[in-house]
Amino acid sequence: MSIGAIGIHSVSKRFGEHQAVNNVSLTVPEGSIYGFIGPNGSGKTTTIRMIMNILIPDSGNISVLGQPKTANVRDDIGYLPEERGLYKKMTVHRVLRYYGQLKGKPVGEIDAAIKDWLNRLQLADWADKKVETLSKGMAQKVQFIAAVVSSPRLLILDEPFSGLDPVNAEALKDAVLEMRRRGTTIVFSTHDMNAAERMCERIFMIFKGNKVLDGTLDEIQKAYAHDTARVRVTGGAAAITGLPSVESINDHGNFQDVRLNGDPQVFLQQLVQRAAVQQFEITKPSLHDIFVRIARPTEEQA
Amino acid sequence: MSRIFIIAHSEFITLVKTKAFIISIVLMPVLMVGLFFFMSFAERHVDVETRRFAVIDRTGQLFESIKAAAAEHNQETMTDGTRTGPEFVPSLVDVGGRTADDIKVELSEQVRQKDLFAFVEVPPDVITSSEKPPEIAYYTETTSYEPLPTWLRTALNAEITKRRFDSAGIDQALISRLNTRADVTTFGLVARAPDGTVAEAKEVDELARLFLPMFFLILMFLAVTTVATQLLSAIIEEKMSKISEVLLGSVTPFQLLMGKLLGVVCVSLLLALVYFSGGLYAVFSSGRWDLLNPALIAWFVVFLICATLMYGSIFLALGSACSDLKDAQSMMQPAMLLIMLAYLGSFIVIRNPDSSIAVGMSFFPTMTPFSMMLRMAMPPGPPMWQAVVSVVVLILSTAATVWAGARIFRVGILMQGKAPTLPELLKWIRA
Repeated sequence: MSIGAIGIHSVSKRFGEHQAVNNVSLTVPEGSIYGFIGPNGSGKTTTIRMIMNILIPDSGNISVLGQPKTANVRDDIGYLPEERGLYKKMTVHRVLRYYGQLKGKPVGEIDAAIKDWLNRLQLADWADKKVETLSKGMAQKVQFIAAVVSSPRLLILDEPFSGLDPVNAEALKDAVLEMRRRGTTIVFSTHDMNAAERMCERIFMIFKGNKVLDGTLDEIQKAYAHDTARVRVTGGAAAITGLPSVESINDHGNFQDVRLNGDPQVFLQQLVQRAAVQQFEITKPSLHDIFVRIARPTEEQA
Repeated sequence: MSRIFIIAHSEFITLVKTKAFIISIVLMPVLMVGLFFFMSFAERHVDVETRRFAVIDRTGQLFESIKAAAAEHNQETMTDGTRTGPEFVPSLVDVGGRTADDIKVELSEQVRQKDLFAFVEVPPDVITSSEKPPEIAYYTETTSYEPLPTWLRTALNAEITKRRFDSAGIDQALISRLNTRADVTTFGLVARAPDGTVAEAKEVDELARLFLPMFFLILMFLAVTTVATQLLSAIIEEKMSKISEVLLGSVTPFQLLMGKLLGVVCVSLLLALVYFSGGLYAVFSSGRWDLLNPALIAWFVVFLICATLMYGSIFLALGSACSDLKDAQSMMQPAMLLIMLAYLGSFIVIRNPDSSIAVGMSFFPTMTPFSMMLRMAMPPGPPMWQAVVSVVVLILSTAATVWAGARIFRVGILMQGKAPTLPELLKWIRA
C-alpha cells in the first residue's frame, strides 16, 4: 500500500491541560482532495500545523510526500494559513516573488507563475499595488497565489473560503480545482460543508481532538443514511411528532427531515395511518447534517 | 544558506525604505548641524536689548568708572553699526535724605514699571575693607538673565582691585606682567626615524582627541538603536499579521533569524558607510588627512557587526516573545537600558580611558563595542592584549546571544497570548 502524500500515525498533541489532538491516524492518497472538517477549536489547525512541521507532535509520527521529516520536502508544499499573512507595505508582486523565492524557485519561473495566477484570479491590474490597498477578498486570493506560486506537489489550505463573497469563493474554488488538474494533492479545512461536499473526494472530521469521520463522501453518507427520511405530509411536523420510530425532526416548514431509530418501512406504515403522505424519500444525509449530528449533543452537554 | 540571503535581502530592502532609517541617515546630521548653527546664532544675535540699571553707589567714587566701562562694553558689542550684544546704560541714584529701604522699594517699583531693568547697591567699604569684602547686591525681576550681573561682576571687580593696588602704592601693570602664565601644550610621543632624525612630535588637538571618538560613539549608538527598534517592530508586525507562519512554512526559525540579522548588519554597515563618506568629505575638504586611520575604521566595522548581531538577536528574541506592541514596549525597556548604559558609560571612558572602570567596561560584552571603540580611538589606546581579549569575549558572547536568541525565537514566534516572564524565557533557552 502506498504511504500516500501525507501519513499521520497515532499523533497526539497537548497544550498544557488541553488535549488538542488525540491519537489521530490518517492517510492522504497522492492526487486527492481531502477535506478537513470539524467545529472551531477541535484540532484542525493544530493537525495542519503539525503536517507543516510548524508544531511538533508529542507522540506519533508524520510523513509528508514519502519523507519522515517535513523539512526535507518543505519546498514542495504550498501553505495557506488560517489567518492571512502578507506584508502590508510590499507590492503584490514583490510579496509573491519573495514567498516564491523562499521555496527555492528561480525568479524567472516565479514571475511567470505570478503573471499566470494574477490573470486567472482577475488581479493582473493589482500587481504593483501595495497589499494594504487590497480588499479582503483580493488579499485572500493573493494569499492563495502565494501558496501555489512555487507549483507545490502538496497544497495545504487552512480555511481558504472563510469570509469570501460568493464570486470570490467561486473563483478560488476554480483555482483549487485547477491545482487538482495539475496533479497536486490538496488538503483543505473548511466550515463550508457545501464546498467540502462538492469538491472533496475524501473527508476527515476531527472533533475534540479525536478522529470521528474518515472516508469518501459515499462511505460516510452510507454509514449515516439508513436512518433519515425526508417527508412531506398534510399537517406538517405536528403529524409526525410522537410517532414511536421518530428520534428527532428537523423541521424545514414545507418538509421535514426525520431521523429514525428503526426501519424506515415501519415508520412509513405508521405515518400513512396518521396523515396523507405527499412525499417520502429515504435520503442521504448532507455532510452538514452529519456534522451537526456529531457535534451538537456534546456541545449541549458542555 | 541561499534562503538566509533571500531573507536578508528582503529585510534590507524593507528596512532601508522605512521612515526611521531615512530619518536616521539624513535628518540626524542635518538636525545636529542645524542645532549647532542655531545655538551659535542665537547666542550672538538674540540679546541686543538696552538694559538700563540704577547704581546706589555708597562708595561715592565707583559710578564714573562703571559708566566708562559700560560705554566701552557698548562700543565693543557694536560692529559696523549693528548691535551684536546688549547695551548697558547705568544711572546714578541720588540718595538724598531717604532711608535705604525707601530707595530700594522705589527702585523696585521702577523695575516693575519697566523703567529700569535692574539696580545694584555697592556697599561703602567694598574697596577699603581688609576682611572678606561685603557683597554687592544686584536686584532684578529677571533673575535668569546672566549677561548683566556677569558683566557687572567683572567690571566692578576690575575697578575695585585697581583702586586697592593704587591705595597700596603698587603698580598693577607690573603685577599682571609678573603674573603672566606659561601655557602647557599636549604633544604625542617622539620617535627616532631609521635615518637617525628625530621626527617632530605631533601637537595633539581637540579634534583628534575628542571629536573622532565621539563620532564613532554616536555612529555606533545610532546604528544599534535604529536597527534594534526596527527589528523589534518588524518582528511584531510579522507575528501579529501571521506572516511568520507563512515564512515558517518555507524556512526554519533559525534561517529566518539569521536572515534578519544578516539583513540588519548590512543596514548598519550602510549607515556607517554614509557617515564615513561624510567624514571623508570633511577630511578631504579640511586637508586633515592625519585624522584618517584605516586600522581604526576596521576595528569599528568589527565592533559594529558584533554590536548589531548581539543587540539584534536580543531584540528579535524579545520581539518574538510578544504578541502585541504594548507587550513589546515593556519588554523593550530593559534591553534599551542595556544600550543606554553602554552609551552613557562611554562618557566615563572619554574622561579617563585608562581607569580601571573603563577597562572593566570594555570587557563587559554589551559595553565592549562602545567602550573599547572609544579607548581605541583615543591615543595611546589600550594595550594590545586588552583589545584582543575584549574582541574574543565579544565574539563569543555575540555567538552565545545569537544562539540563545534563536532558541527563544523558535518558541516565541508561534506563541500567542500573554507575554512570557523572564524565567519563562530562560526556560525556553534551556528547553
